[in-house]
Amino acid sequence: MTSAPMTASAPRAEFRAAGTDLSERRRSGVSKGPLIDLAAAPDTIGVTWGADGAATIGALTSIAAIGADPRIAAAYPGIAASALGLATPQVRHLATLGGNLAQRSRCWYFRDPHIACLKKGGSDCPARTGNHLYSVAFDLGPCVAPHPSTMAAALLGYDASIATSQRPAISIGELLGDGSNGTSDHALASDEMIRGVRLPAPLPGERALYKRAISRSHAEWPLAEVCARAVVSSGTFQFIRITAGGIAPVPLRLAACEAALQGKPASAAVIAEAARQAGSGANPLPMTGYKLDLLEGIVHDVLERLAM
Amino acid sequence: MSTMTINGRLAPLPDDPDALLVDVIRDDLDLTGTKLVCGAGVCGACTVLVDGAPVVSCLMPARAAANTKVTTVEGIGATQLHPVQKAFMAHDALQCGFCTPGFVVEAAAFCDSWRRDKGTAIPSREEIGAALSGHLCRCGAYDGIFNAVAAACAGHFDGVDPNPPRVEARQKVTGSAKYTVDIRHDGQLEGVLLRSPFPHARITELDLAPALALPDVSAAVSLLGDDRMVRYVGDPIAAVAAKDRKTALAAIAAIKMTSECLPSVIGLDAARKPDSPVVFEKSSRKKAGNVSEGAGGPAPWKGNVRGPTAAFSQKPKKVRSWVESARQAHDPLLFEATFRTATQSHSCLEPHAAVARFDGDSLTVHVSTQAVFHLMELIAKRYKLGHDKVRVIADHVGGGFGSKASFGIETTAAIDLARAAKAPVRVAFDRHEELSVTGYRPATEIAIALLPFEQGDLKALSLTAHADTGAATNSTIAALARLIYPAQAKQLADYDVVSNLPPGAPFRGPGGPPMAFALEQAIDEAALRMKLDPIALRKRWDPNPNRQRLYDWAAGLDVWRNRKTSAAQTGRYRRGVGVASGYWLYLWQPGVKIELKVEGGRLIASTATQDIGQGSRTVIANTVAHEFGLEPHDVDVRIGDSRLPEGPGAGGSRSTASVIPPTLLAVQKLKDAIEQNARRKPVAGSNAPWREMIAASPDLCVTSVRPEDSKPTAPGIRSPLKDAGFMGMIFGWMLRRFSNLAVGAGVPSSVQVIEVEVDTWLGHVRVLNVQTGIAVGKIAAPALARSQATGSVIQGLGYALYEARETDPRSGSVLSAGMEDYRIPGIADTPAISVHFDEAGFDHVLGGSVGIGEVATVPTSPALANAIRNATGIRLTEIPIRPDRLISALKGRTAA
Ligand SMILES: Cc1cc2nc3c(=O)[nH]c(=O)nc-3n(C[C@H](O)[C@H](O)[C@H](O)COP(=O)(O)OP(=O)(O)OC[C@H]3O[C@@H](n4cnc5c(N)ncnc54)[C@H](O)[C@@H]3O)c2cc1C
Ligand code: FES
Ligand code: FES
Repeated sequence: MTSAPMTASAPRAEFRAAGTDLSERRRSGVSKGPLIDLAAAPDTIGVTWGADGAATIGALTSIAAIGADPRIAAAYPGIAASALGLATPQVRHLATLGGNLAQRSRCWYFRDPHIACLKKGGSDCPARTGNHLYSVAFDLGPCVAPHPSTMAAALLGYDASIATSQRPAISIGELLGDGSNGTSDHALASDEMIRGVRLPAPLPGERALYKRAISRSHAEWPLAEVCARAVVSSGTFQFIRITAGGIAPVPLRLAACEAALQGKPASAAVIAEAARQAGSGANPLPMTGYKLDLLEGIVHDVLERLAM
Repeated sequence: MSTMTINGRLAPLPDDPDALLVDVIRDDLDLTGTKLVCGAGVCGACTVLVDGAPVVSCLMPARAAANTKVTTVEGIGATQLHPVQKAFMAHDALQCGFCTPGFVVEAAAFCDSWRRDKGTAIPSREEIGAALSGHLCRCGAYDGIFNAVAAACAGHFDGVDPNPPRVEARQKVTGSAKYTVDIRHDGQLEGVLLRSPFPHARITELDLAPALALPDVSAAVSLLGDDRMVRYVGDPIAAVAAKDRKTALAAIAAIKMTSECLPSVIGLDAARKPDSPVVFEKSSRKKAGNVSEGAGGPAPWKGNVRGPTAAFSQKPKKVRSWVESARQAHDPLLFEATFRTATQSHSCLEPHAAVARFDGDSLTVHVSTQAVFHLMELIAKRYKLGHDKVRVIADHVGGGFGSKASFGIETTAAIDLARAAKAPVRVAFDRHEELSVTGYRPATEIAIALLPFEQGDLKALSLTAHADTGAATNSTIAALARLIYPAQAKQLADYDVVSNLPPGAPFRGPGGPPMAFALEQAIDEAALRMKLDPIALRKRWDPNPNRQRLYDWAAGLDVWRNRKTSAAQTGRYRRGVGVASGYWLYLWQPGVKIELKVEGGRLIASTATQDIGQGSRTVIANTVAHEFGLEPHDVDVRIGDSRLPEGPGAGGSRSTASVIPPTLLAVQKLKDAIEQNARRKPVAGSNAPWREMIAASPDLCVTSVRPEDSKPTAPGIRSPLKDAGFMGMIFGWMLRRFSNLAVGAGVPSSVQVIEVEVDTWLGHVRVLNVQTGIAVGKIAAPALARSQATGSVIQGLGYALYEARETDPRSGSVLSAGMEDYRIPGIADTPAISVHFDEAGFDHVLGGSVGIGEVATVPTSPALANAIRNATGIRLTEIPIRPDRLISALKGRTAA
């Protein structure tokens, strides 16, 4: 629709990788200003492997390439499954990893050029007091939009470190913040480019699963999503790491679930009890309580399958 | 300057960093097979191959295509059709065809890589569903698409050139079919609308001069009514025409206005409060839109509430007293509940669009419309032009579903701008407009009470429906319960609740699906309480002969006979089977004419109707061909042009029943004329006597008008309005007088049986299979009727499970105005669907066929809810049954 749009930021140069997020914002008028097209360099595209079996993925590597890489699938199955589980084939083919991490919110108030919001220089979050059906269930800051990045939630679980043009290694936490700053979706400086993502070598015997809750079968933004890694040996959880997206302004580690599993037998009762901890610490909004039920369901689902 | 190679040719790329590949393809290169729909990477209509891989061209910067090889749908079948294209044609994997180019490009790439890796193995439904998960089809052609892709991969279409069941299929699979948005005249300008940012205001001053002062802006017009009021966010204020969209948007932003904001009220609950701000003062009530197919009668108003309209009630006082006594007596058979349905957006993939052009005082308008002829009349009236001076054209229409049946603002804006600019102007809505201001099926709240007699007959039924109609009125929901399940007494009251939301519009069987959602669940509940089989109870309570036969069919289905009770299941996944019935009126349009001629030895049938995907071209071609013993491609069908003899609108499922009878009469006339003019008789024993006669015939032309039906003789077949007494007769008379629609005898009916699997952990419903039984008389084009039947079920599943317009509670701004947030079903959500046609019941109609489009979607949502009840023991009273609602219900909480 028309009339003067509310823009996401004072016009300043914005990087463009594949443009699968940015193009829609520019067409609607939510984002304006100069563009800097990112060109792939040898260290910013593709996957390189260290002698220790650790991978570094260039920021301009496409999501489809990550999802289709058999070595990634073997070493980091949670990363591969997350890549294959997001968006659509025609988007994944273009979309880059760096753009996925730095993408802007999908909140429907943010994406409407006619509505002011915190991320567009407004003074408050219209979703909080308005229609926040798809907003957070862990209310950690003034803006209630969940962080959109599926890859960030998975990378959090793998303790990935991000190399930028200004900092050699920052964590996902440092990249995205703690959710208390409602005005932006990441903590990159305006001219700071993500160059690549380094993953620690996988643990021996580890497995991982990714799952999202949606209403249809495919191609829908998650109501809640979970990436879980585990080493199960002699019937016990030797290692467990559970991260979740779609439920908070930043991806979260589900520490209470992890604590309920670490070192415990991989039994139905332990798993069910751990799943019940999924929402621990949550403070849902009036319309988002269901996300905690779904989160419990997804955690239950992936743990059952990891224990098998 | 950088370049790309597109379909084998070198093409320049623009320097503008914001230029997107889709715009270069469509606007600069005029390759209009590639469609722009969502502009957000969701629907796949813009899919092209870049270096062999499918990508969304609506999000890809044009720059990024430098030095690549791009293939559009035009390049896929350039030298010879790809097997996927042939398979789509043969399996009728399309209806309106607007999504088809995108599907074809993706499916061709999938099929090629599948064949390389797996030979002629057949991919599973899951594999096809995942591969095509980035595409959406609003007509719901998915059943055909599954079959087509599987067959193409299996190599079934490597050689053969199929004879498609849909006559225009080839244009649609090759991308050559031109829709309104694809029309491009020399010097054509782009029109854009300025819309209200306020829910309720008076625009005191509007200054268009700053817009007109900008370079390349040719016209600016006010769209305000005489009261200068805007009544919802998105209400049109002005329009500009400029060289291109970007310039027009800048011009819109330059318009200056001052306004006086008025108190506003949003939605069903708030607008019903007695002190809520009033949207339409008495004097302006006629400005409200209409959500029904027919014109409305008088009704009382109180504030924002219009109603009750209760003409179809029958001894309503008795209902009240019986229900009250049953309540006091705690009668276990009394079922009372309140059901809620969500606002459903039509979401046609082709947006509302019009291209207007004046040549002297003659006006030609291409419009994406469901009514070329009637629209011509309306345009002529509004602009005071003769009928011969106005021509409305719609060769192909990318979906309508009821939303394109009226004279829309896209058309007036295009005409006004074209006149002011003295140049052709296109107005095509963007997706935000399409999903917010072009109409919708109103949300409803329906209170129902159903009371059987102790001995098991139906005693009393009460439905009170409140519809969330926005800036519109005339919902008919409760009244529809009069024409099914006769009872001793019925109390049926309809209310429109007007508020500062965009106006609703007719949508496939207006009022039918919400009424059925409430009533058919109440019937299911009655059966449970009476410990009866729900089909057996319907057989007892519903004497309609068409549905009686469908009940017998449904009762015999294995899936029905083998269903379990909810008590038998405890695990995470639970299965259930549900049934529901539906009906729609059999409507036809008096005065419809078919012209049939022989010209240069070929048959040509013409009428000013249009094909919005339902298949009118094919129905006419098949009917004529059949009568002459020819093939459908032996007949040229001309439609989509108001210059042709008066044809029916596509709405109210009237097309088939309006065109077949006059076509049959015309065939008889033409046969007589050919014989009279024949110089010699066909060779004895010829197996195609008419082919020779036609080839040798001089040019001849006949015209026939839709005749009245003959008197039905079969027992129980009569006008359903006769069952509604005196008011029914009045209603029928009004419909004919004011809406040019006749209600025929016999009731198009559908009974559906649906099996679901509920994931109780994730609140997810998987529809396993749907059996849809349909009685609409003889099937004129079987493959297309099947497509309509399966597409209706798929749309009904969207209504039941996924679709809901979401708004901001303060301003009424539509938040679900993108296709990622307005969720229509995808291919992988499509269950196995079996279609059963019961072809009896309409022998009194010449040709024996009536329309299918609406009735086939009515029973889906209650059948699904009844299946969930059977699986889980829980009755869901609100749709869509999304994970948030289902999980809350399963956990015994109320959802937000
Ligand atoms: C239909 C659809 C569904 C989707 N579903 C999902 C989903 O389920 N989960 C999910 O995670 N994502 C989803 N996405 C989002 C998609 O993954 C992102 O759009 C994509 O990853 C962005 O990558 P890009 O290269 O296109 O980024 P661009 O659009 O080019 O850029 C996005 C933003 O990131 C910035 N940026 C890009 N690269 C860098 C860099 N290297 N360093 C610093 N800043 C940078 C840009 O300045 C811009 O602000 C979906 C997208 C669509 C269209
Ligand atoms: S128009 Fe590009 S995906 Fe819908
Ligand atoms: S045929 Fe797919 S949208 Fe109409």
